[in-house]
Amino acid sequence: MDGLMGTLRGAFLAPVFFAFLGLIPVVVVLYLLKLRRTHVVISSTLLWHKSLQDLTANAPFQRLRKNLLLLLQIIVLLMLVAGLARPFVRADAAGGSDRCLLFDTSASMQTLEKGKTRLELAKEKALEIVDDMVGGDKMMVVTFNRSSDVLCELMDNRVRLRAAIRSIEASDASTRVRDAVLVASSLQAAQANLRIVILGDGKIADLADIGSRAFDVTYLQVGETDENAGIVAFSVRDSLEGQGERQCLVLLRNEASSPLVTTLTLYLDDEVMAVEEVAVAGRDMGELLFALPPVETGVLRAELDWEDALAVDNIAWLVLRPASLVRVLLVAESDSAGAYFLKRVLALSPQVELSTILPADYARSDDYDLTIFDGHSPAEAPQGTSVYINAYPPLEGLGTEGMLEKPGVIATDAEHPVMRFLNPSNVNVTKAQRLTLPEGSRTLVSSRGGALVADVSRGGKQMVVVAFDLADSNWPLRLSFPLFVQNLIAWTPRATLTGESSVRAGESLTLLGTNGADTAEVTLPDGGSQTLRLDPTRPSYFGDTREAGLYDVVYGEHREVYAVNLLDLNESSVSPAPSLTIGRSDVVGERGGIEQDRELWHWFVMAALGVLALEWWVYSRRAWL
Amino acid sequence: MAVSTKSKLLDAEFLRKLERLALVSKRARLGVAKGERKSRRKGSSVEFADYRDYVQGDDLRHVDWNIVGRLNSLYLKLFEEQEDLTLHVLIDASRSMEFGSPSKMDFARQMAAALGYIALIGYDRLSVEAFRGDAAIRMRPCRGKGSAGRLFSFLEALEAEGGTSLEEACRSYTLRNRAKGVAVLLSDFLDPAGFEGCLRRLCVSGSDLYVIHVLSREEVDPQISGDLRLVDSETEAFAEISMSQALLKRYRQNLAGFQEALRRECLARGIVYVPAVSDMSFERLTLDVMRQGGLLK
Repeated sequence: MDGLMGTLRGAFLAPVFFAFLGLIPVVVVLYLLKLRRTHVVISSTLLWHKSLQDLTANAPFQRLRKNLLLLLQIIVLLMLVAGLARPFVRADAAGGSDRCLLFDTSASMQTLEKGKTRLELAKEKALEIVDDMVGGDKMMVVTFNRSSDVLCELMDNRVRLRAAIRSIEASDASTRVRDAVLVASSLQAAQANLRIVILGDGKIADLADIGSRAFDVTYLQVGETDENAGIVAFSVRDSLEGQGERQCLVLLRNEASSPLVTTLTLYLDDEVMAVEEVAVAGRDMGELLFALPPVETGVLRAELDWEDALAVDNIAWLVLRPASLVRVLLVAESDSAGAYFLKRVLALSPQVELSTILPADYARSDDYDLTIFDGHSPAEAPQGTSVYINAYPPLEGLGTEGMLEKPGVIATDAEHPVMRFLNPSNVNVTKAQRLTLPEGSRTLVSSRGGALVADVSRGGKQMVVVAFDLADSNWPLRLSFPLFVQNLIAWTPRATLTGESSVRAGESLTLLGTNGADTAEVTLPDGGSQTLRLDPTRPSYFGDTREAGLYDVVYGEHREVYAVNLLDLNESSVSPAPSLTIGRSDVVGERGGIEQDRELWHWFVMAALGVLALEWWVYSRRAWL
Repeated sequence: MAVSTKSKLLDAEFLRKLERLALVSKRARLGVAKGERKSRRKGSSVEFADYRDYVQGDDLRHVDWNIVGRLNSLYLKLFEEQEDLTLHVLIDASRSMEFGSPSKMDFARQMAAALGYIALIGYDRLSVEAFRGDAAIRMRPCRGKGSAGRLFSFLEALEAEGGTSLEEACRSYTLRNRAKGVAVLLSDFLDPAGFEGCLRRLCVSGSDLYVIHVLSREEVDPQISGDLRLVDSETEAFAEISMSQALLKRYRQNLAGFQEALRRECLARGIVYVPAVSDMSFERLTLDVMRQGGLLK
């Protein structure tokens, strides 16, 4: 019985309705209960018999006809029951629903598959889907790599959809689908027949971040090959042995099943510095260490002499820069407890150049990368990053509303760079200000009564407010406090520019608006150039880093080189994912077209109606009754 | 002529009309008794027929003595014989005849009464026989107008019962009745065994044959509808029908075919076929149709 139900479930969505098959005996019984006829005695039935015989003799399939009505009635019943049980087939979805196409444009989509890149294959599939659309179907196209981009709103204009799909270009960025899926699923909530289709190779880094909801998603898998080896990490660090010496670390991934035996060449400013033999077993990682001469500046390039399906990860760059110090100004009373702890913690960081000033002496100064106000609210917030401990920047909408007594920490925003790697749940606060935050603020640490720590950044000024006096809490004694301060330092734009510099493709480059230049000329790796307007009062960002390579930025007399790399293990492991775990749903990749459960009940109902009409016609002829 | 017999079957006015009619026989026949019709037999009427040589044993009264005197040889003078004509009225009295409004049996009774009355007033011999299954009810042959009362009471007492077995009835009838004359068969011919055997047997009798095919209006033009179980009055066989245009059309075709087949069979055997519907004007049938058919003059 279970086996039967299992089989039925494979073809019907509601096999329980097969219980109505029990009506067949009822039909048979009704049929057997013959028509109650009026008895009429006539002189002779001779001619009537002959007429009946004539009529039936003229009709084909006489024998069948005797029970034709019964047969037809049973067929009608079977059709209706089958329709109720909602039969379906897995079929190429040739239209019939709206789609949200999430198109993977990450680096791994540049992998070559028999002469074509995965992106080209995916485009072909997407165009097929557009071709299969039937009247009234709509589609929207969203590309995702490190960020998501809506190329086409939900529309039924196939010309524009095709043009949008053809315009899709690959990037050298990693893959994050979270935003795209959340956008699509929120649209799906409003529009029930919207189907989300993920088109790509399934190498998605942030599937775990999507949450635990169930998503109705179709995953159209593109690509087959696993022939790739690539550089997945490239960094410089101080040598542990010698003073001033530095080491260069290159991490390799061989995704193919065959071993990788080749050489890796390291260039410094286009001059060969070292050539190292590489031997990495199949599906394994390899590591190379180079000793660097004590150079302060220059561009390092690592090249793997290997031809494989994905070329972008065979080369990586690194820009060496002299370490620049983060200038920190602490505005605090000299005898305050907060100042004591802050000085101790700031002193731990070698890249910090700390200045201290009394609140009474403070005048706005934009020379500092980080200004910490301990218990003193300035009349004007300084440029750059500033932190207000038991103090508040002059912001519209920001204020206090009485006090919170013993507010417990209930949640932290671990996504925020300032809160990274720290857990303040063991922090006890005796009293804190009840904050009212302006719109657009982000609560970093929240208590039942409101925010304890909040990011109130405005107009390029990065600002964090701490709603309590450090002396009224045990925070300075907890591990999370020095981490918090370290994060604050790392958060400053200048900190991101220190030391060797490399960003991932898709991340933005931070240009410090120093030297008074108004514009910056950015030369892209492909030779093209873009002009970027600079605001001298705040850092500027350059976001068009889809392509890996060296970005040459010239502003005024100053020239800066930025390295943009793939350096992504997930992307270099090109073998496509056979299935995706999105929230609670496991979605198996489909290699052909989009398949979906196409319900057939309306065909069964129409057939039942047809047979019913036929039954009526047969009944109305009635000659064989 | 005054009507001596009151009849429920025929009214006085109609009987008076009948009295002006007479049966017609297409051929001279041998009769049973002396009558008013020319016989093939030579006899003793006043009409001269022929001479023939005297042979020993001839009645000397028939010798033409004028010839003897002139030619001195014996010749017999022959005269036409006048004999009676026998009208055989055969009535199918099976149960199926009881149907119709008016019933076919009523029609047959009236028809038989009319024909019989015409025969009686013409001094013809009348024989009436009703078939009921393979049995027969007979009226003793009679002559003369005085027997009209007997005829009418016989017919009035006649009830339609039992099945139809026309062939057997006709066979038995022709075996018993040698008297040739005019035979009229009144029947609906709704016999499961068909009508061919019956007609074949009748032909053996050598009489002038007339077939009056009586159907009721209900049979010619059925006014039934709905889901019915039609039960045969004689055999109790049934046909379950749901009335439809197609079925009705087919029935009418079959009925027409049945009548046509009977007509052809009659034609082939020299029988006069007269179709009749029980509700048609009886006078018209008797006075016009039967005259046209040559039975009456």
